[in-house]
Amino acid sequence: MTEFTVERTERGIGVIRPVGRLTMVSAKQLTEAVAGLIDGGTARIAVDLSATEFMDSSGLGALVAGLKTTRQAGGDLRLAAPNEQVLTILRLTNLDKVLRPRDSVDEAFDRG
Amino acid sequence: MGDHDTTLSLRAPLFPEALEQVHDLVARLCDTASSSTIDRIRFETAVIEIANNIMEHSRRTDPPSDEPRSFHIVLHGRPDELTAEFRDDGRPVVIDFKAISMPGEDAEAGRGLALALATVDEVTHEHRDGLNIWRIVCRRSA
Repeated sequence: MTEFTVERTERGIGVIRPVGRLTMVSAKQLTEAVAGLIDGGTARIAVDLSATEFMDSSGLGALVAGLKTTRQAGGDLRLAAPNEQVLTILRLTNLDKVLRPRDSVDEAFDRG
Repeated sequence: MGDHDTTLSLRAPLFPEALEQVHDLVARLCDTASSSTIDRIRFETAVIEIANNIMEHSRRTDPPSDEPRSFHIVLHGRPDELTAEFRDDGRPVVIDFKAISMPGEDAEAGRGLALALATVDEVTHEHRDGLNIWRIVCRRSA
């Protein structure tokens, strides 16, 4: 069972941390977590993938949807600390150019 | 690299809850068959995308019926390759592999089969004797 923790940093960035597999089974929880942060006034969101073991195309779809909704709300969605499997599917789908993963949550909003 | 053959199988109803069981089975095969990190990424990604496709498209919905549909998956780990075969008695699926391409960056869906094709050496589908039969072959990298 995949768990999601949601926090808000002192810099006002929402951090969503999926623990386990981000797949068709759990992708909806990510979408709900993004919506919850935006509803609470936080539109700059980092998805911390350091504890995400595996992601499928449904997880990618939820990230793309999250990117759109955060930008519509005047914010952005960034990725942090993906493992090799996640990096592989980001590259194969050309989403690495759009979702531009960073090494850590702290770096996710460092530039721009 | 594993130097002997490993076979694992699972039969379950065509419900999304079975996806986690399929995932656990793939993880067990990769552990048992000592697959390299890159081969594991390729095989695990393809098998899960095909399993997702079966759950999404083969679950019989027309005509509406309470009759449960099921699938059977067999995984093999051999010294030279990892393979998976799914058989399901759900709605017949028609796949035009030549028409599959990676959707654009803003698409929120439709990447599953393209991703499976991009990761492993072979993905095939046929409908025979009332069953959808999917086969996946991932040749181990040197």
